[in-house]
Amino acid sequence: MKKIIALLLTVVMVVALFAVGGGTAFADDEGKVFNIYAWNEEFKGFFEKYYEVPDGVTVNWIIVPSDNGAYQDALDAALLNQADAAADDKVDMFLAEADYILKYVDSEATQDITALGVTDFSNAYTYTVQAASDADGVVKGVSFQCCPSALIYRRSIAKDVLGTDDPTEVQALLDSWDKFNAVAADAKAKGYYMTASFAETYRPFSNNCTSPWVDEDNNLQFDPQIEAWIAQTDEFIQNGYTLTAGVWDDEKNVQMFADGKTMCFFGPAWYFNFCMGNAMDPDKGCSGDWAICEGPAAHFWGGTWLLAPAGSDNPTMLADIMNTFINDEEVCTALVANEAQFSNNQAVNAKFAEDPDYGNEFLGGQNDVAVFAGMTDNIVWENHTIYDQLLNEGLQTSLQEYYRGSVDQDTALNNFYLYVNEKYPTIVTP
Amino acid sequence: MKKSKGISYAKWGYIFITPFFIAYVIFTLYPQILTIYNSFFENYREGLKQVGPNFVGFGNYVKLFTPDKTGTINILKYTGNTLALWIGGAIPQIVIALLLAIFFTSYRLNIKGQQFFKTVIYMPNLIMASAFSMLFFTLFSNVGPVNQLITAAGWSEVPIDFFAYKGTVRGLICLMNFLMWFGNTTILLMAGIMGIDQSLFEAANLDGASSVQTFFRVTLPLLMPILVYTVITAMIGGLQMFDVPQVLTNGKGMPDRTSMTLIMYLNNYLGGSKNYGMSGAISVIIFIITGILSMFVYRSLTKKD
Repeated sequence: MKKIIALLLTVVMVVALFAVGGGTAFADDEGKVFNIYAWNEEFKGFFEKYYEVPDGVTVNWIIVPSDNGAYQDALDAALLNQADAAADDKVDMFLAEADYILKYVDSEATQDITALGVTDFSNAYTYTVQAASDADGVVKGVSFQCCPSALIYRRSIAKDVLGTDDPTEVQALLDSWDKFNAVAADAKAKGYYMTASFAETYRPFSNNCTSPWVDEDNNLQFDPQIEAWIAQTDEFIQNGYTLTAGVWDDEKNVQMFADGKTMCFFGPAWYFNFCMGNAMDPDKGCSGDWAICEGPAAHFWGGTWLLAPAGSDNPTMLADIMNTFINDEEVCTALVANEAQFSNNQAVNAKFAEDPDYGNEFLGGQNDVAVFAGMTDNIVWENHTIYDQLLNEGLQTSLQEYYRGSVDQDTALNNFYLYVNEKYPTIVTP
Repeated sequence: MKKSKGISYAKWGYIFITPFFIAYVIFTLYPQILTIYNSFFENYREGLKQVGPNFVGFGNYVKLFTPDKTGTINILKYTGNTLALWIGGAIPQIVIALLLAIFFTSYRLNIKGQQFFKTVIYMPNLIMASAFSMLFFTLFSNVGPVNQLITAAGWSEVPIDFFAYKGTVRGLICLMNFLMWFGNTTILLMAGIMGIDQSLFEAANLDGASSVQTFFRVTLPLLMPILVYTVITAMIGGLQMFDVPQVLTNGKGMPDRTSMTLIMYLNNYLGGSKNYGMSGAISVIIFIITGILSMFVYRSLTKKD
């Protein structure tokens, strides 16, 4: 018995010895702990599935939910302390969303990734690179996904209102705001809502602004696109084409059930794959009764970028992760095929777009990758400021009170200015 | 050799209370002084860029009391909101708690199953305020159960938008604060009433005093110290009201900022931009208001005829 145990132990020891030898390892002088800051588990899941961590390196996830700015607070504290932190405590990579990416990109807290060896952006979509570049064009990070946002419509309602549910024909009938507004009246006449939230069309407008939220003297300014959105929403609310719910409210989400009366939603791949749960409900949902087209204006929504903090003690691994998620064909293919992502690799997406067997069941078999691939050229990333996130949110929540009938428009705008003054003392409000 | 007159135990008293004072100085007094100090500086973050601290004297206070372009001095509006929300919850809270405390302690009524009732009325206080608030938000949303009930019963054709009206939002906040705190107040007041000598009640009874007379002539005067304590602590808590309205209105204090409390206002400055100057100034103002009101309540309740 003793002999068997001794033998077993020896075998285990020898195996362990060999195990240590395998795999790739980066330069010895780099850190052994890789700290990643994120606000949810989404990327962690992809990372653990598709990225092979070098031997001897421990990946440490610091996940802080983004509610009430908690994620940015924690991240800011860590980045401001980066220089003094011990090597193993330094932030080695962090995730950021489109809404506030500029705050980090346009600061000394992030570093040039081309210097680290991430140089090939030929497959990435232009706007995803622009978003991660500072004012001088220095690239500070990459996105592992591209998030063009589509008009998602109910096929059955489109048939009733427009007489067709074919994406090409629907697109031709809804390719400008004038047509969109006119169809809204038709939809209303047949007892439908055009959209289910007053803010549903906010992003298609705001993404196409021709001026930033503040001018060079830091005066708050309303872009014509924002004014157009307000005008459209006024009309939609007055005529009952939409609801007073916010984009994330339950009141909007119940419209996704089969008995919902709403024709149009706006959102990227992640929206209809992960946020339209009511539509996928096996009893009350209507999976398959949906389709997408570009809609009246090209835009994007969300997306997660991987940014390179200055002072990381694991630069080689950092660059390797970034390269893997934008340039590794196998990984990008898996992201599309297994994870319902629209990857940030044009070559890989093109393969799926041309594949006649590829289709999304939720969209009645429509090839969503093909639609998105056709939309990306029109997406622009310009006129952004570090204030965007709170200003966009603040304007919507202030105006919601007006649309709900609690206050008049002037009061709503005045409350928006108060909110801006509280958040950003340097912005001059009218 | 001088002989000591006796053994002094006084030093032990001081030794025993020292830990409290050390903790008080570190965790309360020092931050308090720091807050006042900070209120005289411009000190905030814009993005990742730190602005200040630059000494601005009373600049932050001046800013707080400068009317906005509609002529409203916002901090006064939020002080009014806070007081309205507190009074709306506190009056029913104290009245009901007083009634319950009297019922539970009355030897005439001698209510059975007191422990059970006491536990039940205390229960809402055990739920986290934000969870309770979230529950109410869901209950009263446009597609929530309350509206489903209202439309199903035919009381209203369209769902009632509870969050679009000042009255309903404030009403819900008062209701929640009342539900959360009346149990706690009941138990405090019961302790107060039970501390009153039973023979006084018996004497009043023998002299033919009615229940109402007993309450106003015996119970209430003797309960006053506890009642004053209850009102003042409730008021301090009320002035610091935050989690219930914050969660219920998602930090917006809707409609038209009529349910925005002072601490929510402070939080607006603190969240994201870390504006220690302005939030420090608001803290100091809350401190002064609390001091004045406590004095006022104390004076008016303990006034001798």
